Amino acid sequence: MRLELGTFPVTEIVFGPRTRYEHGRLEVDRDAVRAAVREDPRIASAELEIARPGESARIWPVRDVIEPRVKVEGPGVCYPAICGRDIATVGQGRTHRLAGAAVVEVSSVNWHDAGGDFVETYLDMSGHYGEMYPYSKLHNLCLVVEPDPALGEESQNYAVHKAALAVSDHVAAAVRGLAPRERELFELGPVDPTLPRVVYVWCVHSPQAMSGSPTAFCTATYGLTQLMPPWLLHPNEILDGALTGPYRTAFAMSWTVANNPLLLDLYRRHGKDWSFLGVIVLRTEWTTQAEKQLMANQTAKLASLLGAQGAVVTWDAGGNEFIEVMRSIQACERLGIKTVFLTSEDDATDGAPTMLEPLPEADAIVSTGFFKNSTLGVPHAPAVERVIGLPYKVVAGDRRTGIGRGRDQQVTTSGPLPAPWRYDDHYGFGSLSCIE
Amino acid sequence: MISAIYNFALTTGANRVVRGARIEHVCGDPSLGPEKDYAYGMRIVTTALEALATPVMRPTLFDPLAPGPTLEAVHAS
Repeated sequence: MRLELGTFPVTEIVFGPRTRYEHGRLEVDRDAVRAAVREDPRIASAELEIARPGESARIWPVRDVIEPRVKVEGPGVCYPAICGRDIATVGQGRTHRLAGAAVVEVSSVNWHDAGGDFVETYLDMSGHYGEMYPYSKLHNLCLVVEPDPALGEESQNYAVHKAALAVSDHVAAAVRGLAPRERELFELGPVDPTLPRVVYVWCVHSPQAMSGSPTAFCTATYGLTQLMPPWLLHPNEILDGALTGPYRTAFAMSWTVANNPLLLDLYRRHGKDWSFLGVIVLRTEWTTQAEKQLMANQTAKLASLLGAQGAVVTWDAGGNEFIEVMRSIQACERLGIKTVFLTSEDDATDGAPTMLEPLPEADAIVSTGFFKNSTLGVPHAPAVERVIGLPYKVVAGDRRTGIGRGRDQQVTTSGPLPAPWRYDDHYGFGSLSCIE
Repeated sequence: MISAIYNFALTTGANRVVRGARIEHVCGDPSLGPEKDYAYGMRIVTTALEALATPVMRPTLFDPLAPGPTLEAVHAS
């Protein structure tokens, strides 16, 4: 499987009479985009705004951040199968991407109505809070979209995400026929057989148990989010968006998955420092001990069948999902596959371990820092001049945010805001450092 | 402690651990229908009461689904 990735850097987005790309400048036909989105009868309203790096602007509520990508040669579409898109296997031919730009999905639609998970991310384009995330450096085309309120939660989720992907498709199409300034070839070609063989075990949350629905919206593998045995993906499939869609944290966006620095580094050093075998995608939040252990065993078996000698493991969730992640590490180690685990940590309240089940086999762990913004001591984000999206935000009134003495409060989005309760840098993007 | 993730409860040092159904319904299983769900729930709770009356020397699993008329304590390794 061979994929050429052509990069078109974006240095400016402006609205104009037609959508086109020239020398880093992306011109967007606002009316055409709005009309395309409103073609779907499930969409009640859609507006388009531009957020520029360094601007005193806040975007709320942010459901997803999507890097515009388009297939130029080869089967399928980028971001396949999700929201009813083409299911053809991707990862071959040529794909063009708009780098330094993103489509931001802004909507009040929640993931599901079963509680526990809710959309909490807002993004700042400047200031200390904005700088904690990669998105403040991007030129963001924000789709503020609301669905027909009479629809069920899942239909609303699919309608607004489909709309955001339609915007992504529309702007990415502007570079389909152009010659990219940068090209990079991605291929898992034959390498020196003495190099160590490494697999990436990428654990992603399933909303099935919490929502009670096997088709609830979340980060999807070819559109599927249900609890299912591990998938084997070629890394090219991920570069074409086969693993895509958001989860609840700011680091679990489509953009972040497609630009995962760990995946790219594993790939770019294939044949130099190791032999990269591929990606095992493991769904998490199984709800019995037996299921968790079974998935761990099967993940390790799959890695072993691939001939892996090493595995790099990440996850994007919290709580009981740690068990199948940790047990997968244990199962790999017991089959002789060395593991490295990339994770955030809980705070050590009352002397509890900062990880839920610290098994002895997990003896090589890279911490990306505490996952709670309160533990990190992140100050309130300052007031901003401009808000894209909803003018009000509900903030949880508790110790996590220091607001309202236990009562949830509705606050003005443009005013000073506490950071969302989770930071949780799943893939090692973080620019935070510490002072001792 | 009644827990669907019973191994975790044992390794973290709970003395008496009863195997629950699932994280989302620890003390029963609605998919069985009302009568069987109730019977299963009763069995879990009865096992928990018996566990309370059983002396243990270390973290011990009590399994409501284990066969046999008496419930046997299974010691964690």
